[in-house]
Amino acid sequence: LKVINCCVWDPSGEIFELKAELNSDKKEKKKEAVKKVIASMTVGKDVSALFPDVVNCMQTDNLELKKLVYLYLMNYAKSQPDMAIMAVNTFVKDCEDPNPLIRALAVRTMGCIRVDKITEYLCEPLRKCLKDEDPYVRKTAAVCVAKLHDINAQLVEDQGFLDTLKDLISDSNPMVVANAVAALSEIAESHPNSNLLDLNPQTINKLLTALNECTEWGQIFILDCLANYMPRDDRESQSICERVTPRLSHANSAVVLSAVKVLMKFMEMLPKDLDYYGTLLKKLAPPLVTLLSAEPELQYVALRNINLIVQKRPEILKHEMKVFFVKYNDPIYVKLEKLDIMIRLASQANIAQVLAELKEYATEVDVDFVRKAVRAIGRCAIKVEQSAERCVSTLLDLIQTKVNYVVQEAIVVIKDIFRKYPNKYESVIATLCENLDSLDEPEARAAMIWIVGEYAERIDNADELLESFLEGFHDESTQVQLQLLTAIVKLFLKKPTETQELVQQVLSLATQDSDNPDLRDRGYIYWRLLSTDPVAAKEVVLAEKPLISEETDLIEPTLLEELICHIGTLASVYHKPPSAFVEGSRVHLRIPHTRVSTRPHPHSPLKCCPAPHSALGPAIVQVSTRKVPVILLGSRLWTLSITSAMPASLGGAPAVGGGLGDLFDLGGGVGMPTGSYVAPKTAWLLAMKAKGLEISGTFARRGGIIQMDLSLTNKAMSVMTDFAIQFNRNSFGLAPAGPMQVLTPLSPNQTIDVSLPLSMSGPVMKMEPLNNLQVAVKNNIDVFYFSCQYPLSLLFVEDGKMDRQVFLATWKDIPNDNEAQFQIKDIHLNSDVASNKLQGSNIFTIAKRTVEGQDMLYQSVKLTNGIWVLAEMRIQTGNPNYTLSIKCRAPEVCQFVYQCYELVLKN
Amino acid sequence: MISQIFILSSKGDHLIYKDFRGEESKDSINVFYEMVTALSGDQPPIVMVNSGFLGDLMSGLHFIHARQDGLYWVASTKTNPSPFTIIEFLNRLAALTKDYCGSLSEKSVRMNFALIYELLDEMVDFGYIQTTSTDILKNFIQTEAVSSKPFSLFDLSNVGLFGAETQQSKVAPSVAASRPIMSSRGEQGGKNEIFVDVIARLSVVIGSKGVLMKADIQGEIRIKCFLPTCSEMRIGLNEELSIGKSQLKGYSSAVRVDECRFHQAVKLDEFDTFRILKVCPSQGEQTVMQYQLCDELPCAPPFQLFPSVEKDYVNRSVNLSMVLIFLKLRCDLPPKSTALNVSITVPVPKGSTSMSQELSSPDQTAELQPKNKALLWEIPRFPGGAQLSALFKVDVPGLSSASLLEVGPVSMSFELPKQTCTGLQIRFLRLSPTQTGLSQRWVRYVTHSDSYTIRI
Repeated sequence: LKVINCCVWDPSGEIFELKAELNSDKKEKKKEAVKKVIASMTVGKDVSALFPDVVNCMQTDNLELKKLVYLYLMNYAKSQPDMAIMAVNTFVKDCEDPNPLIRALAVRTMGCIRVDKITEYLCEPLRKCLKDEDPYVRKTAAVCVAKLHDINAQLVEDQGFLDTLKDLISDSNPMVVANAVAALSEIAESHPNSNLLDLNPQTINKLLTALNECTEWGQIFILDCLANYMPRDDRESQSICERVTPRLSHANSAVVLSAVKVLMKFMEMLPKDLDYYGTLLKKLAPPLVTLLSAEPELQYVALRNINLIVQKRPEILKHEMKVFFVKYNDPIYVKLEKLDIMIRLASQANIAQVLAELKEYATEVDVDFVRKAVRAIGRCAIKVEQSAERCVSTLLDLIQTKVNYVVQEAIVVIKDIFRKYPNKYESVIATLCENLDSLDEPEARAAMIWIVGEYAERIDNADELLESFLEGFHDESTQVQLQLLTAIVKLFLKKPTETQELVQQVLSLATQDSDNPDLRDRGYIYWRLLSTDPVAAKEVVLAEKPLISEETDLIEPTLLEELICHIGTLASVYHKPPSAFVEGSRVHLRIPHTRVSTRPHPHSPLKCCPAPHSALGPAIVQVSTRKVPVILLGSRLWTLSITSAMPASLGGAPAVGGGLGDLFDLGGGVGMPTGSYVAPKTAWLLAMKAKGLEISGTFARRGGIIQMDLSLTNKAMSVMTDFAIQFNRNSFGLAPAGPMQVLTPLSPNQTIDVSLPLSMSGPVMKMEPLNNLQVAVKNNIDVFYFSCQYPLSLLFVEDGKMDRQVFLATWKDIPNDNEAQFQIKDIHLNSDVASNKLQGSNIFTIAKRTVEGQDMLYQSVKLTNGIWVLAEMRIQTGNPNYTLSIKCRAPEVCQFVYQCYELVLKN
Repeated sequence: MISQIFILSSKGDHLIYKDFRGEESKDSINVFYEMVTALSGDQPPIVMVNSGFLGDLMSGLHFIHARQDGLYWVASTKTNPSPFTIIEFLNRLAALTKDYCGSLSEKSVRMNFALIYELLDEMVDFGYIQTTSTDILKNFIQTEAVSSKPFSLFDLSNVGLFGAETQQSKVAPSVAASRPIMSSRGEQGGKNEIFVDVIARLSVVIGSKGVLMKADIQGEIRIKCFLPTCSEMRIGLNEELSIGKSQLKGYSSAVRVDECRFHQAVKLDEFDTFRILKVCPSQGEQTVMQYQLCDELPCAPPFQLFPSVEKDYVNRSVNLSMVLIFLKLRCDLPPKSTALNVSITVPVPKGSTSMSQELSSPDQTAELQPKNKALLWEIPRFPGGAQLSALFKVDVPGLSSASLLEVGPVSMSFELPKQTCTGLQIRFLRLSPTQTGLSQRWVRYVTHSDSYTIRI
């Protein structure tokens, strides 16, 4: 029947023929037949029907044939699990073969057969092979544990293979060590909390010793593992660095890059004034430069990494500008990366050289590259002020070439230069206007229109120019339409007499003939502004624009920190954290810092968006964010908010400050259900340390919602905008539940109150002290860091009342070593009042006992992360000092719970 | 961790496919091929599968690939490994395949699939790279290579090294080095030969006034060893070789490099005093030393160009204009040496329609490549000390003065056989006395242009 079956789908009879050959007596013929089977398998033909015949060839002493059969088995066992069992006996037998090659082959192949039923047969042979006398077998067995873990993790744990694997880290053979490290690292990924890879100074020492003897690939496993270690102090950090540094001259660039990763991470621990720190910096440059002599594919990866390193520590490569100059025969993806790094390294010292190069690139063939080169010239102008003039004249030269895309790119960057250096280079406007007709890309058109609108008073025929754009208004992209609308309004405000008709026309086009809500709403706002209060309109539309920042495309510092930990990996190539593209990836250990600085955490929701390239009229952009309420409430309120220069955010922001805001201020806790104690605001960030931004604040728990109440005061001379906040990971995973709502710009000497709801879903890291919180606040000027401490009562949940019986059992269950005693002095409350007061802060009294004039209150508290705290408070009549005993499975919180008691009882 | 490895022909045929972790199906091959061929031009070596190709089925899968000898060498992964490691590994895999199969082509990979599978099995286990060393691998590999072109003595004809004609007698034929390292005993191919190549790559930028703006040399000493077992070999370099930037300059006799890196098997105990490298070469090809020299050229740059670019009107009234490009190229090599396969690329203004040229000898060629906006001038042989000139008339309708800016920079590529720019030489090559049997040792030098740019 089988033969007939074959014939049905095998018209050529190929399978039939192979079957006969596989069953031949001659070894050579068998071998050739298996080879043919594998060849068919590779090109995608289904040869699974031959499974039994191939498995029959398995019992042979010919190693070559055996390997071929195993190759076949690995491919088809999954689809034929029942038949795969047939092979098990041979596997088990092979695992005991006197030839180590066969033992290793068997254990390697068995692990690759991902059939559940087989795994149980695998355990015994694997156990033996892990202790085999031959290192080749041991190293294969080590990997097999990882394979088995992938199929059945529970089985691996139950069988105690993990411990055996840990022992292999101390193996005498470096290859075995390397594989054990690799296997453990992978298994540890899926058990984030396990202590599998228990890195301590002893194991680190073993690894460093193995490092010197390993194969190059083994060295990479070990270096990657080392990078996860957190040295205890700078001395240890230095000694590891010293032992890793020789890897920098390894011929395998992958080893070099892994070594760079370890060094970049551990350098953080070293004090900057240490001589060794400087030496290390110098040692890093040559290997990085050498990476660029490799194949283009490797160069690309190297450049993506260097891009990160240059942002983190520009000093390493500041003298190496020349190696990033583009070669004409570099592939385009290498060229673009090099260009990026050139701009990052550009400084006053080398700008002339850089500019000369960029000018050459601007005449190359590849369009993308040329565009980026032109853009780079603009970025140089913005970055290095001394070079601005030269950059502008270079750009003008390029505009003369009349190459369409060069001209457009140049206009886009010149607009940025105008923003950065107002009233300096406007003489070139005439040249720009000559090229109006050749602009066919929206970005370039929008940029040109912005320039015309912004400098309308200097361009005689500004109205004609804008009118010419208006003809095809409906065919333009939204970007251009918005820009045109704004530009014409600007023109009208500057030259009201001649342009009334034009502004009417554009407003009606925008409001009546467009179905784009952004455009329509912006049109309405202008319309209303202009009709109610032209003075206010002028103030809004022609407002002073904030300066644009120097480097617009820097990677956000928190992300950069994280990416530095991932140097050499895919994350460093994508410039994205691994969590963004790997399922279930583990959060990586962060860089240790010399001082515990207040770095915000990468995973919190904040996005530091630098001013986008095309944000041409920032004042306008902000107005439009409030468009809905404005239209609903009518113009009176609108004018009011404009004149007070601080429009209230009516759209539902938690709290606002100043005149109007008070009406809506719900954040004060007036109507809140529980009256938990809220400490007065204290100063967290001083104006002198934060370029004029002063922040004071406190924490509150209101009806189960945790809030951070902040007062932001602008003590600088200029307006602050674009506020955002983010937390470093902390002991209890506090994180902002949403972005900080500061919708209005903060003018000088103004204070705004904000309530930021917090969630407990952030990443966790134990802090010292436990309740320490490190915060980063960003505004348009800079990013500022501060740390503050929150009362632990913030984390006391509402359902923290424990059942009596449970309380009793738990109290007994917690060892006495965990009990801590405190004195609370000078409290003149009786026990009931105290109990009520504490209840307001979610400290619940479960039982009260009075013994010999002494009240004993038994109380329970539950923290947001599920930790229970049990307390006994003794109050002696007439004695103002209370005795508090606290028991908790996590004794480190006792101290902070006590502080909360004191705080609540005394206020 | 590597999830799969596959080798594809340039047309996308599956030559080798190996799954290490059972995470992904074989469909990924087609997804990869679709992705790299969907866009024109060079693709970066790392791509992520995004939805849209095969939907979310394969989301989170990444491909890392290298192209070698017209084949795609691809690894896929679902984790966050080091792409650097993987690319380096793929390059090694290609090199090892070449070592074992003799040459690298679609045909040789197809014929030796069993061998390559066996190699892969030993080189990678569960996605962890195990080894790429032939010394270790030779203990395990059972399959014999099928040579696509059996090695024969007839190939040892007078074809010169890197295409050079051989005046001097003792130059190894270039094909001699391309045969499998593991040919079975008894065949004629099993000759005990060892090749040591000193290869330098030159990157130069010469400014518009003939000033040397940038000069880098990247070099390596590469061994290709066919000895089945090799005891220690001693390679003596110039004794006056100095390393590092801090050394005194102006020492005319000194041969200097900035930095060098060595293969981990190289013993350096005699390097500091005698400049001797000691190595036990494994079978196959390996780079024993890499060196580089930045911002300095010990000799004059091999080529100097004297260009002139002018605008000329054929007929001013109809604006029929052309660009005259006159190039005078001088080769500053010593008179006995010759540069080979010299090609010069000059970018020309966009809109160039046709070109006529005057060249000084018939073996030279020149053509206009409108697609690249460039003209290409090729000189097969260029003796040292000689000077060649050429005049190109390029018709560009509607030429503006700004268009002249588009002419240049000139880029050149060439080969300089028997030359090392650094002056690095191999004094001697000794196999330790215990070595039995006849062995032949070859030393070859060559300098390639990596990127040679002359601005106008």
